[in-house]
Amino acid sequence: MEDGNFLTDDFLRQLINVGEVDILVGLPTHNNAKNVGSIVHTIRDGLLRSFPRERAVIINADGGSRDGTPELITSVSIDDVRPDSTVYALRTLHAISTEYASTPHSGIALRTILAAAELLRAKACIVMSPESGSITPEWVSSLLRPAYYDGFDLVCPTYRRHKFDGLLMTNLLYPMVRALYGVRIRESYMPEFGFSGRLGSQFLGQNRWNDGTGDNGIELRLTLAAVTGGFRICQSFLGEKNPVERRAADLVPTLRQTAGVLFSALESDFQAWSGVSGSQDVPTTGSDLELVLDPLRVNRKRLWEMFVSGVSELESVFQSILSPSTLAELKRIAGLGEEDFRYPTELWVRTVYEFAAAHRKSVINRDHIIQALAPLFRGRVFTFVVENRKGSANDVANNIEALCLEFERLKPYLVEMWKSKE
Amino acid sequence: MNNALHLDCLLRRFCSEVRSCQEIWSVARRKRLNSNKDALWYKDAIIYQLHVRAFHDSNGDGVGDFLGLEQKLDYLQELGISAIWLMPFFPSPLRDDGYDIADYNSVNPSYGTLEHFRKVLDSAHQRGIRIIIEMVLNHTSDQHPWFQEARSSQNNPRRDWYVWSDTDTRYKHTRIIFLDTEKSNWAWDPTSKSFYWHRFFSHQPDLNYDNPEVREQMWNVMKVWLEMGVDGFRLDAVPYLVEREDTNCENLPETHNILKELRRKLDQYFPGRMLLAEANQWPADLRPYFGDSDEFHMAFHFPLMPRMFMGLKLEDRKPITEILQQTPEIPPSCQWSLFLRNHDELTLEMVTDIERDYMYDMYAQDKTMRLNLGIRRRLAPLLNNDRRRIELMNVILMSLPGTPIIYYGDEIGMGDNISLGDRNGVRTPMQWSGGWNAGFSNAEPEKLYAPIIHDPVYGYPAVNVTSQRESEHSLFHWMQRVIAVRKSSAVFGRGSIEFLYPANHRILAYLRRLDNETVLIVNNLSSAAQAVELDLRRYKGNVLIEMFGNNLFPRLGDLPYLLTLGPYQSYWFRLRRV
Repeated sequence: MEDGNFLTDDFLRQLINVGEVDILVGLPTHNNAKNVGSIVHTIRDGLLRSFPRERAVIINADGGSRDGTPELITSVSIDDVRPDSTVYALRTLHAISTEYASTPHSGIALRTILAAAELLRAKACIVMSPESGSITPEWVSSLLRPAYYDGFDLVCPTYRRHKFDGLLMTNLLYPMVRALYGVRIRESYMPEFGFSGRLGSQFLGQNRWNDGTGDNGIELRLTLAAVTGGFRICQSFLGEKNPVERRAADLVPTLRQTAGVLFSALESDFQAWSGVSGSQDVPTTGSDLELVLDPLRVNRKRLWEMFVSGVSELESVFQSILSPSTLAELKRIAGLGEEDFRYPTELWVRTVYEFAAAHRKSVINRDHIIQALAPLFRGRVFTFVVENRKGSANDVANNIEALCLEFERLKPYLVEMWKSKE
Repeated sequence: MNNALHLDCLLRRFCSEVRSCQEIWSVARRKRLNSNKDALWYKDAIIYQLHVRAFHDSNGDGVGDFLGLEQKLDYLQELGISAIWLMPFFPSPLRDDGYDIADYNSVNPSYGTLEHFRKVLDSAHQRGIRIIIEMVLNHTSDQHPWFQEARSSQNNPRRDWYVWSDTDTRYKHTRIIFLDTEKSNWAWDPTSKSFYWHRFFSHQPDLNYDNPEVREQMWNVMKVWLEMGVDGFRLDAVPYLVEREDTNCENLPETHNILKELRRKLDQYFPGRMLLAEANQWPADLRPYFGDSDEFHMAFHFPLMPRMFMGLKLEDRKPITEILQQTPEIPPSCQWSLFLRNHDELTLEMVTDIERDYMYDMYAQDKTMRLNLGIRRRLAPLLNNDRRRIELMNVILMSLPGTPIIYYGDEIGMGDNISLGDRNGVRTPMQWSGGWNAGFSNAEPEKLYAPIIHDPVYGYPAVNVTSQRESEHSLFHWMQRVIAVRKSSAVFGRGSIEFLYPANHRILAYLRRLDNETVLIVNNLSSAAQAVELDLRRYKGNVLIEMFGNNLFPRLGDLPYLLTLGPYQSYWFRLRRV
């Protein structure tokens, strides 16, 4: 068992009172009082509707909220101390909270949730995002059922998203994970997901928590651990996913938690991914891709400008990361006007692979490598938006599929670069 | 007068005097049992429910009888019970196990004679054991002479003793109780060409309590048995006495008025006797049956029983504490009657649909175990013969506020036979020994009123009184012990209850208090060991004395009191300031 010393005595006492459970719902939070009340009520409704007989607990790992978030969560407990005639439940439902002694961080929060799941011997768990504005009670069921009843170890969500929502997923993570690891998981860096107690325990014991590197992009690490560990993975369609407002400044941290984590994982997972060719679907309940086509204003000009200035300002950095031919091609397209600018699929895939190889070789500080990817990704987003602006759902899906196939086709290029060091 | 005739007269006179003497002694014993000190005897009682037919057969005809019961009174005294509830023993066609009475003033010849009954009554009283008998007020058998007269013609003087109608559409808001067998509460009588009302089986026509003659007659019936010396009645199916249009015909004010009148007469002419209501209702609907201490002395707490099983399976105290939170206060002289199992199915009428489905899935996956809205199983099979769970359920039964009732055979963990129809599977012969017919009867096995249980787990070679008496760690001896400990303090029968709500919901803990005595009960509903912290700071300075072993536990202090309990373990502590 993972060393549980990072759990507070008070939290341990609460866990003792909860005792063994069948189902655990983890809710990492930090100042989420605005939404978390309705989210946690929805979670409770989902549990009461779909798992009325199971022993369940809602565990809040809070990063030091000062807005009353933990109190909102613990208030949904159902017990005999404060009987609530408006809610009928067969058994007690605990909602408990703990504040971890660190800055708000999803990695530490998830570690707390995983440790609780192991201590309580939870059979199936879900982690829900405190920002899931579109959550419904059915989400709880959709994420839990495959793990609780059908023996799956990881349940990844799929959503109905706007075609321009989640572009990091569609343009980098999904195609790259698919090409390298051979599994078609749409959302490998997922805001909400389900997992078995078995996977949770394994991951808790293996992940590199203590050196701090294991805290970043924890959701993606869990996905990759499930893939390389031979765990059973499935996808479950949840429905509409409202986009979360992000600022432009959020891109680099997000890249660290996605591309950075993926590039790092490629090192330790080389044996697992290098021999894989092609890719396989994973069992999916419902649709694996539903796109909303409503008109959406995207500031393309800003994307193009950031790409152009990035290529110009970071040329010396790119010289360390990219091959001369790729860099030359980037410089060429950076010279095109906005109307003519396109970031071709093959060039994007080569760019990403060369970044991954450079990351492995640590040609420069790894974090600088990830930061340098940001303007290029914006160029790719510009292109994706332009190419799919008038596209139907099928057109967009076909374009994504074409990108994936390109990642798969060029995989030997990455393997070759990887081996070249050796 | 010739010599023979003279001798006969002398003998008759002698016998009459002997009987008079016996009656004097019987009355004296009754007076002793009913002294003022014992006016609330039913609050301290531990009741043992049995069917004469099923208990012991003294004459080898395959059917239990009163003399057989008398022979086994020592056993019941040894067990420690203080009252016996006899299921119906009246003449009956036995189409509902005696709840279809054909003569209220006699006993079924299969069970013996009125003299035999008196003998049981007297012998029990000699042992300090009271006798509670069944009285089915609501209906008779269709073989009862009253009904035979009533149906014979529309002009018969007894016609109005039952509820008749030209249509079967009256009282349409009334539910059907025996859903598995009855389609309507009305049955067609081809003799008098009209419908008669029945809340139970169609062969059990309901009496018409709007008729004062019926009310008077039923009091006269009760009086006969009270004069004989019975200590109380379990009044069967009391919510249904009166019918009114546009109601559900249950718990009507008119019904309560009739019951209050019976109570008034009982108190006036037979003080110290007890009325126990069988009213399968929600607690709020049950409360009126106690009135202002002027209706029933006791009533079964039906909704609690399934929730005890539910709490055990869920390993969660919530179902138990919730129903008791919803249970209204009752007058101080009144008492709840608690039970785990009885002669009927484990009724699931007083639970929600979700709870009922859960109970079926957990306790009666085999659909043949289900009957009406319930589960027709005995205690031990319901609990998979898990001794720890059987003990825990009995511990809770004995320690919650109320008078516990033990169903015959459950004290040794008897099984059931679900291949027998209706509820007969839980009414099989008592298993006294591993010998012929389990020691129940000398008859040929095929003559027994019901087959003895003989499966490998619950069969009489494995489960019987003789072997359990000889085994120090048997369930019988454990039951003896828990009964003795309960009887050691009036707090269990008469004290208040205060639930503690430790954060560990698997622990059901409560304080029972009476005057200066406080007892702490802690039950672990879980199959795993549990730790619990109890807030008992207000009792700081008290030591805990574990009541089964009289061992001291550490003194209560300022900190929460930490206890660890093994799977399904219980503690009873007496609090003592030293």
